[in-house]
Amino acid sequence: MPDEPRDALEPKSATPAHGLARRVQRSDVWRSMFRHPQLDTPRGRALQSFSNFFLHLYPVKIPARVLRLRYSFRLGFIAVVLFGILTITGVYLMFVYTPSPASAYGDMQHLRTSVGFGQLIRNVHRWSAHLMVLVVALHMVRVFYAGAYKKPREFNWVIGVTLLLITLAFSFTGYLLPWDQLSYWAVTVGTNLVHYVPVLGGTLQDLLIGGDQIGSNTLLRFYALHVAVLPVLILTFLAVHIWRVRKDGFAVERPTKGTFEEEATARPLPNAPAELYGNRTRLLGVVDRESVTAEERPVHDTVFTWPHLLARHLVVTLGVSALVLALGVAFAAPLRELANPNVTPEPSKAPWYFAGLQELLSHFDPLVAGILVPGGAVAALIVLPYIDRRLATEARNRKVAVLVFSGVLTVVVVLTVLGTFFRGPGWRFEWPWDHLYLEL
Amino acid sequence: MNTSRRQLLLDGWKMLGALLVGAGGYTAYEALRPVASTSEGARLDLGDEAFFEEGTATYVPEGRLYVVNAKGDRFALSQKCPHLGCRVPFCDSSGRFECPCHGSIFDLAGEYIAGPSPRGMDRYRVSVRRKRLFADTSSVISGPDRGARKYLEDPTGPSCVGED
Repeated sequence: MPDEPRDALEPKSATPAHGLARRVQRSDVWRSMFRHPQLDTPRGRALQSFSNFFLHLYPVKIPARVLRLRYSFRLGFIAVVLFGILTITGVYLMFVYTPSPASAYGDMQHLRTSVGFGQLIRNVHRWSAHLMVLVVALHMVRVFYAGAYKKPREFNWVIGVTLLLITLAFSFTGYLLPWDQLSYWAVTVGTNLVHYVPVLGGTLQDLLIGGDQIGSNTLLRFYALHVAVLPVLILTFLAVHIWRVRKDGFAVERPTKGTFEEEATARPLPNAPAELYGNRTRLLGVVDRESVTAEERPVHDTVFTWPHLLARHLVVTLGVSALVLALGVAFAAPLRELANPNVTPEPSKAPWYFAGLQELLSHFDPLVAGILVPGGAVAALIVLPYIDRRLATEARNRKVAVLVFSGVLTVVVVLTVLGTFFRGPGWRFEWPWDHLYLEL
Repeated sequence: MNTSRRQLLLDGWKMLGALLVGAGGYTAYEALRPVASTSEGARLDLGDEAFFEEGTATYVPEGRLYVVNAKGDRFALSQKCPHLGCRVPFCDSSGRFECPCHGSIFDLAGEYIAGPSPRGMDRYRVSVRRKRLFADTSSVISGPDRGARKYLEDPTGPSCVGED
């Protein structure tokens, strides 16, 4: 059936529950919890989506194209799954961890030697964190190449950039917590970068580390940031991010059109010709533009979110969990010697996502490499959707944007690979097959 | 007075809100700013001045500093690299300070030789009293700028890091 909408495959009538299930579902207790029928019909599924708190994140129906793996590679969802895994494993770690230089390192050893599955939990937390940085970055790259940051989704792109920065802040603050040589010196290098911010640098650095060098103050505030401040921030931005995906519409639904906000919210002129308002009927003075425009761009091939999308999400969740569990079983998170302010290890490398920055720092002035270049890159990402305003999303129609972005991306990848795999003591060039100084 | 009561109240709420944000910001600053060091006296006794012979670098762990004697002048050099804060070890074979993080190199007196550091090594004021050497660790003096070559000498041997 070539052009038949997939709705046609949905069951037309429900098979009623029977036996015990029927009695439970009809009980007052059950009905007090679930206010919708459990009917396996289009109407039943729509009602379930509407009246369920957790499902209200999703539209009731989605364009069938969204189901295709190549539509998004599920990267945004994978990032959310990783964040969930990080939250769960993070809570486990909080039960055994004290954020003080006297006990932090010992707690890490205690975790490894005396807590059942303790090392595994820490490994999973570590690898999930690395993967999350990678996946969030890939998600951004994917959205760029799809041109999905264009009107009306400009602001959601900005929120996405913020989420990437929060993810990096999570990784950086978490990096210090084991209080070993690796974390101590990577964070020393990282926080000293702040010193090069013009005018306010010294004050900012003092506020960040709470002293003239990394110490108990630093550990305590990084911990507070890691387990309280950043989680609240990321959940807030994530909620808005996901909400806006729905409000701004899927990329497939609105390939070229802009918003109708001005039309939808402007007061109608008396006796204005109907064309001025796109021939749409306006309700009251102010109407949500979604309700105005939704009707005029029907997507024929739609499917119910439940079960079609949710089942795929469940598979992805299980797959990601299996992957990080396998990584956690196979590879142990590193734990070097106790942090020692008097011995700088060789080489002192930042975590891989900052290795490109460190590589840049070895060639240029810290103000340029540590502040202007990364600051400029973030600023460029934020203003990108407001500069690249043409609505075309195909690569051949936006050659400049694609070329510039691909060029910068290549430089970032080259610097990161160089810094991560090709640098040894004293930041000398070293072939990775001669000696690999990889710190994760 | 042309301000209506309505306008006054509207502005009043905004001001109260701004005040609250300001108070919150200041509280955060107070909670995060470094507390003044409580360690005993800023004057650190480094020991008998005759101990620090010419051409040597001695590490003083209590002060996280090196006492060096370059061409007869003594300096108390902070171990913290002016570049990005790594501890700069003294390389015995080359007779220079060589940072393992990003390869900055300084001569015995902490003058800049090579690498990404923006200046020479930071130092503390030293003084002699009754034949004993003291360092004033209460304030850091920024190192000499990159051009300083007063104490530069050829390396005494192979480098510990950097190009060899």
